[in-house]
Amino acid sequence: MTQPARRQPFVLSLLLSAMLLSGQALAAVSDQDILQDPKNPEQIVTNGLGVQGQRYSPLDILNVDNVKELRPAWAFSFGGEKQRGQQAQPMIKDGVMYMTGSYSRVFAVDARTGKKLWQYDARLPDDIRPCCDVINRGVALYGDLVFFGTLDAKLVALNKDTGKVVWSKQVADHKEGYSISAAPLVINGKLITGVAGGEFGVVGKISAYDPKNGDLLWVRPTVEGHMGYVYKDGKAIENGISGGEAGKTWPGDLWKTGGAAPWLGGYYDPETNLLLFGTGNPAPWNSHLRPGDNLYSSSRLALNPDDGTIKWHFQSTPHDGWDYDGVNELVSFNYTEGGKEIKAAATADRNGFFYVLDRTNGKFIRGFPFVDKITWATGLDKDGRPIYNEASRPGAPGSDPKGSSVFVAPAFLGAKNWMPMAYNRDTGLFYVPSNEWGMDIWNEGIAYKKGAAFLGAGFTIKPLNEDYIGVLRAIDPITGKEVWRHKNYAPLWGGVLTTKGNLVFTGTPEGFLQAFNAKTGEKVWEFQTGSGVLGSPVTWEMDGEQYVSVLSGWGGAVPLWGGEVAKRIKDFNQGGMLWTFKLPKDLVAKH
Amino acid sequence: MRLLAVLISAVWLCCQTVQAQVRNYDEMIAAGELKVAVYKDFAPYSFEQAGQPRGVDVELAEALAKALGVRLTLIWAPAGEKLDDDLRDYIWRASALHNQQLADLMMRVPYDRDYAQKRNEFGEMENGHVVMFGPYQNEQWQVAYDQRRLDKVGSVAVFDSHPIGVEVDSVPSFYLTSVFNGMLAGKTHHYPGVPQAFAAMKAGEVDAVMAMRGEIDWQVHEAADPQLALAQNAYPNMGKQLWEIGMAVHESNRQLAYAVEEALEGLIREGAVKTIYSHYGLRYDVPEMYQ
Repeated sequence: MTQPARRQPFVLSLLLSAMLLSGQALAAVSDQDILQDPKNPEQIVTNGLGVQGQRYSPLDILNVDNVKELRPAWAFSFGGEKQRGQQAQPMIKDGVMYMTGSYSRVFAVDARTGKKLWQYDARLPDDIRPCCDVINRGVALYGDLVFFGTLDAKLVALNKDTGKVVWSKQVADHKEGYSISAAPLVINGKLITGVAGGEFGVVGKISAYDPKNGDLLWVRPTVEGHMGYVYKDGKAIENGISGGEAGKTWPGDLWKTGGAAPWLGGYYDPETNLLLFGTGNPAPWNSHLRPGDNLYSSSRLALNPDDGTIKWHFQSTPHDGWDYDGVNELVSFNYTEGGKEIKAAATADRNGFFYVLDRTNGKFIRGFPFVDKITWATGLDKDGRPIYNEASRPGAPGSDPKGSSVFVAPAFLGAKNWMPMAYNRDTGLFYVPSNEWGMDIWNEGIAYKKGAAFLGAGFTIKPLNEDYIGVLRAIDPITGKEVWRHKNYAPLWGGVLTTKGNLVFTGTPEGFLQAFNAKTGEKVWEFQTGSGVLGSPVTWEMDGEQYVSVLSGWGGAVPLWGGEVAKRIKDFNQGGMLWTFKLPKDLVAKH
Repeated sequence: MRLLAVLISAVWLCCQTVQAQVRNYDEMIAAGELKVAVYKDFAPYSFEQAGQPRGVDVELAEALAKALGVRLTLIWAPAGEKLDDDLRDYIWRASALHNQQLADLMMRVPYDRDYAQKRNEFGEMENGHVVMFGPYQNEQWQVAYDQRRLDKVGSVAVFDSHPIGVEVDSVPSFYLTSVFNGMLAGKTHHYPGVPQAFAAMKAGEVDAVMAMRGEIDWQVHEAADPQLALAQNAYPNMGKQLWEIGMAVHESNRQLAYAVEEALEGLIREGAVKTIYSHYGLRYDVPEMYQ
């Protein structure tokens, strides 16, 4: 259109307007797009490749035979000095890729060329208190907006074409210690987010907003005793106290500051119309101060997405004394047993047990260890409740002699941490990024906090094996059997993707993006990205070719630790790079 | 994530792109400016009132800067999970979250040999980058109570039946919820800070408040209510009953420590420090070193 004065032929302008119209129709992400996400391989509009979070792609252009021809198409640097842990999963819509970087940044990139379309940098205040690095785990898409949560606990909506702020809403006060690192999700026209920050004595909550304007729709506290609300015309209407009443599973008024932050966000199951969220550990950390189950800490919650009502809960670690957050993703899947279809959901907990629940009611179906060593519990009872080994509970600081120590496995970083597993519908297996480590916890001498003296506790994480910490495992959720394992020297901290092409992808802190045969565990491809891979890989189809993308950039919670784990990771460099690979068309048939 | 938070700030351990610079004494004098880290929102030690910096640490820092012939620049420090975090962020390594800014001097750091010499599991000094010196205040625990609802506090056992307010995630909270097998936990009420706990006492929600003596003295002073009394009870099983508060500099900056120490001793001996404490209704005991 460089010569606007020239008249266009009628047919051409008709065609153009038709294209523009269809372009608009394509551009807006609808509820239907979100619910159908796993079925449309040309776009990725949900975190988890589908609201259930299975991270399964039906694409098989790329498969275990031709994956060795997978090669870089382009790479994109996040730039700047802010090279920290990159943990997001990219989203793809209409040839544009959207993702977050460390320090609350958002990028939109041309998916064909890697050219940057726009970048948004949140202005962060000085006094943010992120728990575990300045990471972010991705965006949500809806309508023509891109949503993400910031380290200072805001939800921000950006225009997908310009990156300009359309609205911004404070979800919680960062000065109290709240932040947001998880990707929000949009379900039935509601934008839903959790918060991080339970360790600062705040109360966790899940909130829903109107994606159009950021109006609060409902809020559900995750600690027993707190009132939930729905909002109508700006007015708060009481919607029931979480857990019915205060003080049932907490002593004194500790429920007021109970923690249980749903900091990893959640997923959704359309078949039961339930949001599935996990919650963090209770506060205070010392379990001797809070006898009781401390609901709903270290639990999985099923919520009605319309008003945030809790439909059921399952607590993986009641009376948590080891910092086993219950935030890990609960992935919905169906299987057949005795001719009956079971609507199940599975989760691999920080505490070392893999749980299969009935997702219609939260009832425990089965559970089993998915790591080699668990010392804090000897097993699970018929309801899935842990059978504690009390000798493995850290003592009350000050009560035991200075220096007395207990060894506990898994370490508080978890048999599996935030990094999402994947479920392959063809193999029926879960691919779980796990870590084999334990921790020593001991009472130490005097410590100070803000001018006040107290007796502290010290701890250190220890690898259980000389030659590996990370183990990528293929786990059969029906039999509890491990079908294969692949060991990694450093702890695994990246998400997993699986495909119909009999492939499993995941990254390593050593910088490799790796592909495995989903059935056998044989490593079939790898690529060195230049920095540790903590992101969640995705795959999609564009112009008839299959692409794979992943973020590279070492950081996250693991480098926080001294001791023996630090020795394994101290030479890893920071990064901030988006890598995109493809299988060129002419190489598909070759194999 | 609680344990994570304890070590959180170690985030920056391996990954600083910009190395923060420790200024030596001569550079500090040449710049004509002493940068002092004080805790944020921590009345009566360091806080802002009507936009003005106030508090005993602020006034003492001003007096020290004046004695050194330089101007004072305050760095407001949100308290970390442990003092170790604050020392790392403001004295020796700096933090990307605070623009890599280091202070020359940090106030309200304990003067405690056991703490200063603390070693980690590898036998390394945990605070080897820091010199802790210059005790300027004694600190201890204190309960204030409302005589309209509580006659006296013979021992902490009265808080079995009388509600008591504490700051969330503070030592008084750990103490009252754990001592005597948690017997006092049911009557321990948690508030975001000591001022809110006092407001709750005024409103009749709690009969007493436990905090550090300076915080209690200031609140009692501000309340100007003759029915508020200071308890004389003991704190059985409390790890540390009495401790000294001093300052910290980087270990390469001992020259600054000596200069500050000399200035401080003068201020203590001439009574200037006691006067500063009196501005906030605080008792002042001269630390043992100067007696």
